[in-house]
Amino acid sequence: MRKISAVLITIILIVILLIGVKDLPDFGRAENPSNNILSKTYLSQTTRETGSLNIVTGIILDYRALDTLLEATVLFSGAIVVLLLFKS
Amino acid sequence: MEKDIILKEVGKILIPLIQLFGLYVIINGHLSPGGGFSGGTILGTSLIIMHLIYGKEFIMKIYSRKRLVSSLSISLIFYTLIKGYSFLSYQLHLPHPSVGVTGRILSAGFILPLNIAVGFLVASVFYIIFTIFINSEV
Repeated sequence: MRKISAVLITIILIVILLIGVKDLPDFGRAENPSNNILSKTYLSQTTRETGSLNIVTGIILDYRALDTLLEATVLFSGAIVVLLLFKS
Repeated sequence: MEKDIILKEVGKILIPLIQLFGLYVIINGHLSPGGGFSGGTILGTSLIIMHLIYGKEFIMKIYSRKRLVSSLSISLIFYTLIKGYSFLSYQLHLPHPSVGVTGRILSAGFILPLNIAVGFLVASVFYIIFTIFINSEV
C-alpha cells in the first residue's frame, strides 16, 4: 500500500512539474523575461547608487539585503540546532 | 596527542597570514571580488587549522563555546539592526550615511559594517559545525 501511494504521489508530482516546464519561454529569444532591463540597470546604476565597486556585493547587500538577511538566519539556525542536538 | 614540530612551526607562520587575508577580503568586500561570505569562510578555515594543529584546549582558551555562540548571535543582531535602520531610513526620510567617494575603504554607506557582520557570522558557523562533527560537542 505504501509503495503504491509513493508511486502515485511521484507520478502526480512529475506531471505537475512537466506542466510547469511546458509553459517556459523558448531559449534565447529577445523578449524573454531574462533579457529585460533589470541586468542593464544593475550594471549601470549600482556603483552610482550604492557606492560599491563590486556589483555583486552592491546587489546582495543593498538591493537584495533582505535575502542576505534570511540566508544569514538560515546559517544561524542551522548552527544553533546542531548545537542543541549534539549537546553533551 | 602530540603533533609534529614542523607542523606547529609552519602553522605559526601561516595562520596569521590566513587570518589577515580573510580580514582583507571582508573589509575590501565592496571594492574587490569577495565579501562577507567568502572572507568569513577563510577566517573559519584558519580556526579549523588552529584546531587541527594545536588541539582543542589551545583554541578553547581564546575562543570558548560561550564566546563562539555570543559572536554568532551578536553579529546577526548587528546585521538586523543596521539593515532594519537602512530600510526604515529610506522609507521615513531619516538621515543615512552618504555614498562617499567611490573607491575608498570608508564609503558605500552600510555595506562595510554589513560585510563585517556577515563575515564573523559565517566564520563562527563554519567552526561550530566543524567541531561538532569532530568532537560531537563544542
